[in-house]
Amino acid sequence: MKKLTALFLAGAMALSLAACGKPAEPTPTPQTSQPSAENTDPTPAPVPEEKGKITYIIGFLGDKSMNDSGYVGIQTLESQGYEVQVIETNSQADKYADYVYDAIDGGADYIVTSSGLDETVAQIAPEYKDVKFILFDMTADYVPSSDNIFALSYAQNEGSFLVGMVAAAMTKSGVVAVNVGKDSPTINDFVVGFVEGVNAYNPETKVVKGVVGSWSDPAAMKTLCETQYRDQKADVFYQVAGGSGAGAFEFAVENDCWCIGVDSDQYTAFAESENPELAEVIVTSMLKEVGNSLVNTFASIEDGSIQWGTTLLAGLADNAVGYVDNDFFRATVPADVVENISSIAAKVVSGEMSVKSYFDFADETEFNTFLQEAGK
Amino acid sequence: MYTWFIDFLFSVIKLSTPIVFATLACDISRKAGVYNMSTEGNMLISALASVVIAGHFNSVWAGLLGGVLTGVLMAAIIGYAHLIGKTNMYLTGLAFNTAATGGTVFVMFMLCGEKTSTNAAIRSYTIPQLNIPFIRDIPVLGKILSGHYLLTYIAALSIFLVWFMLKRTRLGLRMRSIAENPQAAESVGVSVVKVRYISFLISGFLAGLGGAYMSMAYVSFFSRGMVAGRGWIGVSAMNMANGNPIGSSIAALFFGFTDTLSVSLQAFNIPIQFVNMIPYVATILALIIMNILRIRHEKAAEKARLMSVMEKEAASLEK
Repeated sequence: MKKLTALFLAGAMALSLAACGKPAEPTPTPQTSQPSAENTDPTPAPVPEEKGKITYIIGFLGDKSMNDSGYVGIQTLESQGYEVQVIETNSQADKYADYVYDAIDGGADYIVTSSGLDETVAQIAPEYKDVKFILFDMTADYVPSSDNIFALSYAQNEGSFLVGMVAAAMTKSGVVAVNVGKDSPTINDFVVGFVEGVNAYNPETKVVKGVVGSWSDPAAMKTLCETQYRDQKADVFYQVAGGSGAGAFEFAVENDCWCIGVDSDQYTAFAESENPELAEVIVTSMLKEVGNSLVNTFASIEDGSIQWGTTLLAGLADNAVGYVDNDFFRATVPADVVENISSIAAKVVSGEMSVKSYFDFADETEFNTFLQEAGK
Repeated sequence: MYTWFIDFLFSVIKLSTPIVFATLACDISRKAGVYNMSTEGNMLISALASVVIAGHFNSVWAGLLGGVLTGVLMAAIIGYAHLIGKTNMYLTGLAFNTAATGGTVFVMFMLCGEKTSTNAAIRSYTIPQLNIPFIRDIPVLGKILSGHYLLTYIAALSIFLVWFMLKRTRLGLRMRSIAENPQAAESVGVSVVKVRYISFLISGFLAGLGGAYMSMAYVSFFSRGMVAGRGWIGVSAMNMANGNPIGSSIAALFFGFTDTLSVSLQAFNIPIQFVNMIPYVATILALIIMNILRIRHEKAAEKARLMSVMEKEAASLEK
């Protein structure tokens, strides 16, 4: 009996360790939110020439967010002839360097990773000039430390601007909220774009900002929404909060409010799920199309137009950010608003219109004044 | 302002409930002489088990029962490791929490192919909210105390039950005597291992309730890391009153209060970093104040003891 128990315990420990992030085989993500044509095509392309090995290092796959979106792009690249390896770090920062060295030892020609590993990459990249590093989701003002790094920054302010207009169109109380997981320059760039979008649609609409304080506390997010609904009469909620965000959807179901999703199409994620009522409150989602931007980056590597050692700001015009314009969106939002938003999106794409960014502010004080104005 | 305050206090109770469960779970162990830090992980595992079992049987009550039994089972495993395997309790607790963080995600992925949250793959169930007939009608208190989830009332009842068990039952007396001096208790025929095992099981039961509250009341799904430090706050609250269920529950309510405050104050343009700091600064301040009071109390007791000794000496000298 004792032996059995000991065996069971050992087994349980081994299983839990297995979940603690070691280099993983690419896990097939169930129902990706944005299935691309290349991805769903079951017939393998006529074996293309060797293009090199891409190692994709991310926190974990299955986040229904940037990592998954990026993986869709990585799979597209695989079908174009790149060899692909995925390493999941499970966000264990003390092992980041080990994973990058592992990738280099494993013969990676390109290492694609996100902003969490920027310091690790900045340290290692100068030592390994024959390996190319691609960092995505960096801030627009990031300066790569070495000429074998290419950084991608996303104009989240442009995508947020468009969903801000949707929020202003949907509110009945005249107050909308933007709730973020934690404060950071990138996250505040979402906030600035959103506020600008709300004001562009209706300057009378108030915007309140909330901070959950965690990326994985949906309960705290729900409480935050309840408080804003009760005390400040907010009735449309834009969540930029990773794992905490689901608390906002549940709140909206219970209180008959609207939500706006982030990073991926969160309506579709729930529409066919066990809890379809969660989808019914997500009027649209702001999209960060990491996959598209990675495919574009590798296209520029192939045609030689890429500028190593720089940061590219990819926006609406590059198809790197956007918003979800699906049947539910069209059925929910008044037709003139739908028209209006797509025409403004076209203006942003053509460069006729520019959207204010967090990085345009001189300092934090100026940003805080901007926020206080939005809340009045 | 008046209704704001009522809503605020309602939120305090709602936010405090999981902390109260965590605190009581730590109290029971502490009063049996075990420093149990595994509550965070146990709540996380129970939260997942509740959702999975409720979804499987399509019943919220099956989920609640399953969550609680899982909590008890996990505590039994920790108890086995510590009491029979003689492992160090600090290390066991920490290892258990780390294993729970990864293990819950692993199990979630095995069962439903999701790595972030169960809300797409498993139907959500919520423990009912109760409007208590008489309390509901009390003018101000009614709005604060009525309309909570069933588990909130169980938490309140648990505070009393744990206190009663520790102070008024034979088991409680044995636990406390073991905490004071295990050898002495053993010498009069109390089985230290047995009593501590029971304390682990009760502790797991309470952690299971806390986990079920997180995933079937507070929100109605499991998501990775969703306990988010509430188990650790429970350890803090337990420490503040040295394991006394009443005192530490007041501390738990205080933590719930600062949590609610940090949400509500965001509306008043107070810098968010400052607001988020409040619960932690409050913890340090409260611990300092508690310790000053404790030291003062001990000094006074020591002084009184010395005084009485001196008086006796003086009396014997006079003779």
